[in-house]
Amino acid sequence: MIRTEELLLNVGPQHPSTHGVFRIIVKLDGEVITEATPVMGYLHRGTEKLAEDLNYTQIIPYTDRMDYVSAMTTNYVLCHAVEKMMGLEVPERAEFMRLIVMELQRVASHLVWWGTYLLDIGAMSPFLFAFRDREIIINLFNELCGARLTYNYMRVGGVKWDAPPGWIEQVRDFIPYMEGKLDEYHNLVSGNEIFLARIRGVGRYDAETAINFGLSGANLRSTGVDWDLRKSKPYSLYDRFEFDVPLGRNGDCYDRYNIRLEEVRQSLRILKQAVEQFPGPGDVMGKVPRVIRPPAGELYVGIESPRGEIGCHIVSKGKAEPYRLKFRRPSFVNLQILPKLLVGETMTNLITILGGIDIVVGEVDC
Amino acid sequence: MKGLLKGLGVTLQSMTKKKVTTSYPDVPIVMPDRFRGIQHFEPDKCIVCNQCVRICPTECITLTGKANPDPEKKGKVIDTYDINFEICILCDLCTEVCPTEAIVMTGNFELASYSRDDLFKDMQWLDDNNRNVRQDNNNIGAPAAAKGGAK
Amino acid sequence: MGAWLDETLTWGHALLFFLWGVILLLVVLGFVTYAIFFERKVIGWMQYRIGPNRVGPWGLLQSVADITKLLIKEDTIPRKADRALFILAPALAYVPAFAVLAVIPYTQKLYFADINVGLLYYVALSGISTIAIILGGWSSNNKYALLGGMRSAAQMISYEVPLVISVVGVVMLSGSLNLRSIADQQGDWFWQWNFLPQIIGFVVFIIAAVSELNRTPFDLPEAESELVAGYHVEYSGFRFAFFMLTEYVYVYAIAALTTVLFLGGWHAPFPFLDWVPGIIWFLLKFTSIVFFLFWIRATLPRIRIDQLMGLGWKVLLPVAILNVFLTAVYMELFVK
Repeated sequence: MIRTEELLLNVGPQHPSTHGVFRIIVKLDGEVITEATPVMGYLHRGTEKLAEDLNYTQIIPYTDRMDYVSAMTTNYVLCHAVEKMMGLEVPERAEFMRLIVMELQRVASHLVWWGTYLLDIGAMSPFLFAFRDREIIINLFNELCGARLTYNYMRVGGVKWDAPPGWIEQVRDFIPYMEGKLDEYHNLVSGNEIFLARIRGVGRYDAETAINFGLSGANLRSTGVDWDLRKSKPYSLYDRFEFDVPLGRNGDCYDRYNIRLEEVRQSLRILKQAVEQFPGPGDVMGKVPRVIRPPAGELYVGIESPRGEIGCHIVSKGKAEPYRLKFRRPSFVNLQILPKLLVGETMTNLITILGGIDIVVGEVDC
Repeated sequence: MKGLLKGLGVTLQSMTKKKVTTSYPDVPIVMPDRFRGIQHFEPDKCIVCNQCVRICPTECITLTGKANPDPEKKGKVIDTYDINFEICILCDLCTEVCPTEAIVMTGNFELASYSRDDLFKDMQWLDDNNRNVRQDNNNIGAPAAAKGGAK
Repeated sequence: MGAWLDETLTWGHALLFFLWGVILLLVVLGFVTYAIFFERKVIGWMQYRIGPNRVGPWGLLQSVADITKLLIKEDTIPRKADRALFILAPALAYVPAFAVLAVIPYTQKLYFADINVGLLYYVALSGISTIAIILGGWSSNNKYALLGGMRSAAQMISYEVPLVISVVGVVMLSGSLNLRSIADQQGDWFWQWNFLPQIIGFVVFIIAAVSELNRTPFDLPEAESELVAGYHVEYSGFRFAFFMLTEYVYVYAIAALTTVLFLGGWHAPFPFLDWVPGIIWFLLKFTSIVFFLFWIRATLPRIRIDQLMGLGWKVLLPVAILNVFLTAVYMELFVK
């Protein structure tokens, strides 16, 4: 009789496929995982605690660094929450600008996901294809607000910058370009038999499990639950635009892959309408008091970030600083299902499943 | 098999397409005007109002003022002004609140150095950092009177 | 060369053989240097990049710089590693890789050894490298390396079988295991080369060969996104360079072997192009196979280990055996 023993393998925090400093301790029987324990917190910076000593304008740069792949949506959720608490009016032009940058951000974020996911699975060209196109969006943001990753673009009551001359036209030109590139992506990868064999049926769960774990975004929609906050609880100007919410059926990595790429197409559709309806010159900053002091009380606002429902819960005591600020980070919540999914899978599928959840460690650890 | 061949076709076609590589260290990258790079500070314009220190989310700015050497004038003039670029996040808030545009952003972004000490920049250094200074500063936080024409 | 091989061995001959060996070694090292450069350039172009271009004119010295860097790097051996095996593994990996090159004929006249069981010799020796990879993975005393080594063992054993059986058809058609006569017997027109009559064998051979090379999409032993670097995760400097060298020498060997077995060796595709020297044709075919390897590396994702095993045993092996059967039937009906 051969004596066998379990292999305790430490995946991360320095591992090429954990997307930052995320760590999973897995027990392996051969290559099959018998137990997985995620360890998080390597990137914890205490954003929520820090925020208690900062006024609302100062918190905005910190939200950039939470979900750094999609900083515009994290910007928005804070500003939106404060505006809602104070009942501030945002000028239409500013709201349009916000919507356009958020949708561009969604495209950029999904491109990063697409590239890195394929890199995890072993194809390296898609990563560079995706970053080539993401670069265009990043350059647009750079022209708009002067930063390429941490935008600090939105303010309570509006946005910091109006669109520079010709910027909207550049966005308009980008839409058909990106639609063409999306077809190229599908040609490059989506039909690839090896790739399909790798992701079909991997990391499956049903709608009930997904809801019980509180999943959101593509992770939830892959099981067929029609829940997209842009449609279900419209915020900003999303009720003015026509778009579809792509849904999956099987709840596996393949569905999540398709949903994300389809969301890019829907985002482009929203962008196309937004650029057409873009209002004429006007203020981009509403009437905001000199010092922002939301009235005492509590408020929760959730919006749809590329990763799922990102929420901001403010407890205010009527001061310029929040009494308590809590972010519901979709990456963190979506990650909770990971240990359950990993049991019985192989080492290779660990990477496929983790990549399929689409986490940003800055947001997980916050 | 079809999807595999399609993919091979895409990569083969891209071989001859135009490349996107930039020759960055040889050809410097020109950032757009709004770019938030290392700050430029003009001591003459500063009125020592301390607003930039108060708004800074990371508390990376320290300044001291002294009485105006010209006895006929009131107010203070700046004595020391330091930014610690180890913790500065270039968030643009200091330039946003500055009522006199004494501190403004530039298009320079190269901060790499061999020592952390080099990242502590004083007033003289920030004053000399005067290339690619941002034209349109759009300080929405500044008092309406000081806003000027920059909008 | 062939004449000397038949004569009795004298000191002069031994020295001559040794010199030939050194020349081949230099050629192979030159090939590896520029194969790496070419690979990085090709993959760069396919990814909208320009590839290495800083060291030397057009970046031609990039690989030289890389190798120099590896050579002068500190040689680290983990404290808990099995020292003797850790040192032995890279050398053991390289020796068979170089030894198999002996039987490759380049033209009618230019060859190093003319062994009647050349093909068998090739397959037998290349199997030894597997042991080196397992040794490297095991002696590193690293869990990732161990997993990589184990994968490598499973993969190489599974793919050696279809690889050998896929060339049986070729051997049957030419009636010889001698690589020189196999290449020689392929016809003057390109459709008479083995790759068309033996199309099934050719496809199986290519897939199995890529797998033997541990290259994408079969690079599971290394699999940097899962196993960090697989079996050579603890190796650095010179020893790491040896593993890389082995990998690229096998690229050379497999490309040459494919050319000889299936693509007519040094034959021109049309008889009227015979005035072009055979070595040019050989190099052209050789280069296009090397290019093909780089091309699929730029495109394809990695396959999963269970799918890899499934493909090897359930698809490639039966297909290869079917190919042997079909060849036998064909020969019985038409050739006899």
